[in-house]
Amino acid sequence: MIRSLARSFAVTLCFATPAWADFPQAVSGHILPGYANLAEATGTLADTATQTCDMAALRPAYHAAFDAWMGVQHLRFGPSEVEGRGLSIAFWPDPKGSGARAQMALLTGDQAALEPDMFAQQSIAARGLFALERLLYPSADLPADPCPLIRATATDLARTAQAINADWQNTYAQTVLTAGEAGNTTYLTRPEVRQALFTQLVTALEFTDDNRLGRPLASFTQPRPERAEAVASGRSLRNITLSLQAQRALVLALTPDAPLTIAGFDHALALAGALDDPTLAGVATPEGRLKIEILQQTIEALRDTVLAELGPELDVGIGFNAADGD
Amino acid sequence: MRHYLIAALTSTALVSPAFAASPQEVAQTYVELAAAGYGDSLTTAQALQTAVDAFLKAPSEETHAAAKTAWLAARVPYQQTEAFRFGNPIVDDWEGRVNAWPLDEGLIDYVDASYDHSQENPLSTLNIVANASFTLSGAQVDATNLTPDFISGTLHEVDGIEANVASGYHAIEFLLWGQDLNGTGPGAGARSHTDYLQDSGCTNGNCDRRAAYLKAATDLLVTDLAYMAGQWAMGGEARSTITADPNAALSAMLTGMGSLSYGELAGERMRLGVMLNDPEEEHDCFSDNTHNSHYYDGVGIRNVYLGSYTRVDGSVVSGPSLSALVASADPAVDAQLKAELDASVAALGAVKAAAESGMAYDQMLAAGNAEGEALIMGAVAALVTQTASINRAVTVIGASGVAIEGSDSLDNPGAVFQ
Repeated sequence: MIRSLARSFAVTLCFATPAWADFPQAVSGHILPGYANLAEATGTLADTATQTCDMAALRPAYHAAFDAWMGVQHLRFGPSEVEGRGLSIAFWPDPKGSGARAQMALLTGDQAALEPDMFAQQSIAARGLFALERLLYPSADLPADPCPLIRATATDLARTAQAINADWQNTYAQTVLTAGEAGNTTYLTRPEVRQALFTQLVTALEFTDDNRLGRPLASFTQPRPERAEAVASGRSLRNITLSLQAQRALVLALTPDAPLTIAGFDHALALAGALDDPTLAGVATPEGRLKIEILQQTIEALRDTVLAELGPELDVGIGFNAADGD
Repeated sequence: MRHYLIAALTSTALVSPAFAASPQEVAQTYVELAAAGYGDSLTTAQALQTAVDAFLKAPSEETHAAAKTAWLAARVPYQQTEAFRFGNPIVDDWEGRVNAWPLDEGLIDYVDASYDHSQENPLSTLNIVANASFTLSGAQVDATNLTPDFISGTLHEVDGIEANVASGYHAIEFLLWGQDLNGTGPGAGARSHTDYLQDSGCTNGNCDRRAAYLKAATDLLVTDLAYMAGQWAMGGEARSTITADPNAALSAMLTGMGSLSYGELAGERMRLGVMLNDPEEEHDCFSDNTHNSHYYDGVGIRNVYLGSYTRVDGSVVSGPSLSALVASADPAVDAQLKAELDASVAALGAVKAAAESGMAYDQMLAAGNAEGEALIMGAVAALVTQTASINRAVTVIGASGVAIEGSDSLDNPGAVFQ
């Protein structure tokens, strides 16, 4: 019976999760404000696009909307997964160029497709922030006036952001906060919520590692600076910084007791802050590449720290996530 | 990126209560299922090889149809083995040789003028059938002999690009069916048997090299499947890895089920295609066999949980199941997961039934096809739902004391109490 005793002891320890910071704080202090911010920033962008097609006015509003997205883009569950909303806000990477192709058809095709109801049915690759980037920072002359498409894309983006925000405000926050209560079929226990958030954190770090850094780094003999995220709008490094800041904030909302994890975020943020390379073009030069590789290694080490420290602290392990598979 | 659920359970993995089925027995069932599944994949690939040989010896509509039928039959057992992929590094490291997807088929053979040269793949229109040499990073590569070694050693994933799929089921599928140029409209690839005629009737040129490629790719598939069948047969490394550590086996089983359900099948292979409205995003895109591939993936996931596999000859391999193990720890979790696995197989079955009634999978992807989208997204929802319960099964087994990583509790039972 020694074994049963040991088990009881372990279970008791599990209950020691601190009460002053936990997923309710993550909902009220991180998730809800984040989506409200996104709804507001994308709303401003849509309003601006309705009034003008002046790039000098649109670009700052675009950056503000993208900044707001970086505050929540790591939360790939619940309302952002409904109807592929998250992907329709940010479809990247797009190795086959599906977005550019679909947008060309929209630019030159029947304008009825730009009506909101119709536009919402278009390929996710032709919608969202990366679609707007191709219109606001075109790499070549566009075959037609982009203004109607810019307006349609911005309007659709704001509608999507508003839908996610409304779902969180009206129903999903309650779904999360009543985890483990009778009738909640989404989260049968409170640890299931902690596991969901923990999984988002780890997956988001892996996304930065594999894609935001891994794609431009490619191989030493064949670096691919053009494959960095949001190169045209000059946001590659900024997106890494903002995503790390948002994930750090989520950790702090979940627990005050993950010092190694927070130190790891601070170290990665310091490296990113010292990197004077907004589009990560340095991957193609020996000294620039070294710095970016060090940032990547730091983020990989941070992921391991999160698994080793934060997982046990929250008493959960990694769950399945959308990035499983190829 | 995948996780093997190893760290997930170590904090609670302390004790081993009595289970209706022991982890050892459940692991044993698992390796028997894998051995049977890869064994069936091998024999059906050998039947494909025989049919391809007959086709190439005397190309005709009949021999061509027989080869295509053999390919379709070979997919049935193979897709059911996909549940063994994630969680077993031996399988996952090898899988790209036989089922890599999606592919830039212009690497292999001629393509239509509408085919988009990939921005990220300079070799996406190489057409090795028509070119006996090509340039790679400034060096000339000799492609005179289209052998299995050339395909696996040189051409597959050439230039470090995953879309350069030179081997496996989908390369063979392309060589048998050709491009499906119907977009989201009705119809599959319509390659003529005359692409393989070795006389003046040869269409689209280079019929000798095309035939050599098809022969080599088919032989290579058989070789690769023989390797994996051996891995799971008596004495095979994949088998001994599992049986040596039954607790790690439980992790492999649940990792395989969850990763295939969610990230791979529901996400990458199903939802993304709907969201992009892109027929290129269907798994068996040349043959329009995607409904079957998805369905048998779903069946394979359920097989692992229920510890039962119906072989191609109709016989059943079964034994003490993961289901029984979970049920002994938490009957509610087991009951829910079983019901959800049945629901996902039913939802995938509805997609299959609709395809067999005339709405092919690529047609379901058309923008504005609400019925098709509902069918696919219904299956996606079922797969996502069952993933949450697979997560719960992980927790239940962990909380009940099965160390998913094993090792300590097995090698040194005292260590966990220190």
